[in-house]
Amino acid sequence: MAYAGSTGHIAPAFSIIEILAVLYRSHLNLGDGTPDSPERDYLVLSKGHGIMAQYACMHELGWLSSQDLSRYFSDGTVLRGLSDALVPGVETTSGSMGHGLSIGVGLAWAAKRLGTNQRCFAIVGDGEMNEGPIWEAFLFAAHWKLSNLTVIIDNNGLQAMGRVEEVLRLGSIAEKLQAFGFETREVNGHDEAALDVALQQLNKVDLPCPRAIVAKTVKGYGVSFIHDDNIWHYTRLTPETYRAAMGELDSNKKSVASRS
Amino acid sequence: MRDAFSAALIKAAQQDERVILLTGDHGYALFDDIRRLLPDRYVNAGVAEQNMVGVAAGLAKAGLRPILYGLSAFVPIRVLEQIKLDICHENLPVVMIGDGAGFVYGALGASHHCTEDISALRGIPNVRILSPADAYEMTRAMELAFAVEQPVYIRIGKCDIGPVHKAPIKYDWGELIEMRPGNGDLGFIATGSMVKAALNEATRWQGSSVWSAPSVKPLDIEQTTAICRNHRGIITLEEHSIYGGLGAAVAEISSTYSPCWIGRIGVPDRFAQYAGSYQYLRSEHGLDAAGISHQVDELMERVGHVHRGLSKSPRTEILASEI
Repeated sequence: MAYAGSTGHIAPAFSIIEILAVLYRSHLNLGDGTPDSPERDYLVLSKGHGIMAQYACMHELGWLSSQDLSRYFSDGTVLRGLSDALVPGVETTSGSMGHGLSIGVGLAWAAKRLGTNQRCFAIVGDGEMNEGPIWEAFLFAAHWKLSNLTVIIDNNGLQAMGRVEEVLRLGSIAEKLQAFGFETREVNGHDEAALDVALQQLNKVDLPCPRAIVAKTVKGYGVSFIHDDNIWHYTRLTPETYRAAMGELDSNKKSVASRS
Repeated sequence: MRDAFSAALIKAAQQDERVILLTGDHGYALFDDIRRLLPDRYVNAGVAEQNMVGVAAGLAKAGLRPILYGLSAFVPIRVLEQIKLDICHENLPVVMIGDGAGFVYGALGASHHCTEDISALRGIPNVRILSPADAYEMTRAMELAFAVEQPVYIRIGKCDIGPVHKAPIKYDWGELIEMRPGNGDLGFIATGSMVKAALNEATRWQGSSVWSAPSVKPLDIEQTTAICRNHRGIITLEEHSIYGGLGAAVAEISSTYSPCWIGRIGVPDRFAQYAGSYQYLRSEHGLDAAGISHQVDELMERVGHVHRGLSKSPRTEILASEI
């Protein structure tokens, strides 16, 4: 996708791919399995820069075709470079940060008011937590006891121009969320089993409060030369780096397969 | 007009259980009735307007009919990007109320003045803009707003200046309401608080017509063109910047379909310099009766109007308390 479209934002997508995979595979109720299903749980990608990871999952679900993916970013196509609510299955239009979580709060709150069983999972970037509305949304979600809302912080420690701790120091995200009234867990965001357990635990907790997971992640996880290197927020793949990256991903896949 | 808003809100909420009001910690006594009659349909979202708009978008996506209330300085100005991306991009049915538009909160200063809301919103696709002049137009505005499945902004300006209509009125999207018939050289098109001012100024101009434009977006192209065609000059009046508001909308249509002289009377391109009452700020910006007359005279001189002695007739004096 990134190679075909000659796009950046590879690293932010690699940071959340396991989170998305676990959610789609085991935790999201997909209703009748189509993106238009009215009973479907909501997945809000508030950090819209990671959209390629979500497109990849939607492809696996059959919501997007291989041709859709191969034409990502090109003229006259549906898939834009940042998350866009006009794509069926994508809830919010992001790219401008700090929007998605509030919409997710509205979706979760609507489900409560309407008495549906829908849940909402919102993925927020740690860099995105610079934005004021994120904190407004935390207050609101806790005040209205949105127990069907799970916020997952993609805590990769990097934002567009540098380390989060150097740009605007966040300190302990888990402690902050706990203080805001969220039932919170911290996990390795690339460990699918750990994510699975944390999500199951939070689902079982019988507390009238929203839930949160602080997922410790690495921007560009999975490819050695993209790993934790912020230039890959911007860099486009060349034929050489494309081959090298695909080679690493394939061998990782094989080693995962041989372990399981 | 605010009583009409409150009554229309309760009616809409009683007729449709999906309707829910969110306020950004404003409208203290305004919501007494809905709080008493339909307490679960009233939500104070706190002084957190950006989140409030996003939440409303989420509610609307899930099938509810949220109505947002704020001072116009905050809704839409503070939350413009949320309105653009969260609501308008998906064309979601959210009604937004911006209260106290113009110089209503006179002495409080620039943070509470709002003379740019229409121009800020007009360029955003999908959103419709209503600017009622009195309680009757307000009642109809709420009916129209809940009858469409898309974003609507209702601008409430100075609302204690009495009605301009004598009875309930049905107008449609885009429609200009004829307040005073006339086929003379001059026509007035006004919105909101300035409809009354236009009616007063029109008494100086024999044969002039006056139109109220509660629907600023859309504004009916055919009807606007016909009005422009019927007069040599058109004066637009609004308690809003001369840029991007009703005057600009009329001028855009006129210049394309039926060019005529357009005099845009509104708030000049500057902030209020001093503290002052509503009346003081209107006059500071040339929007009191004398200021309006002066600007109309200037335009008509440019148009080459032969006064035929009419402008010598005594102007209807407007007491400050009446504007």
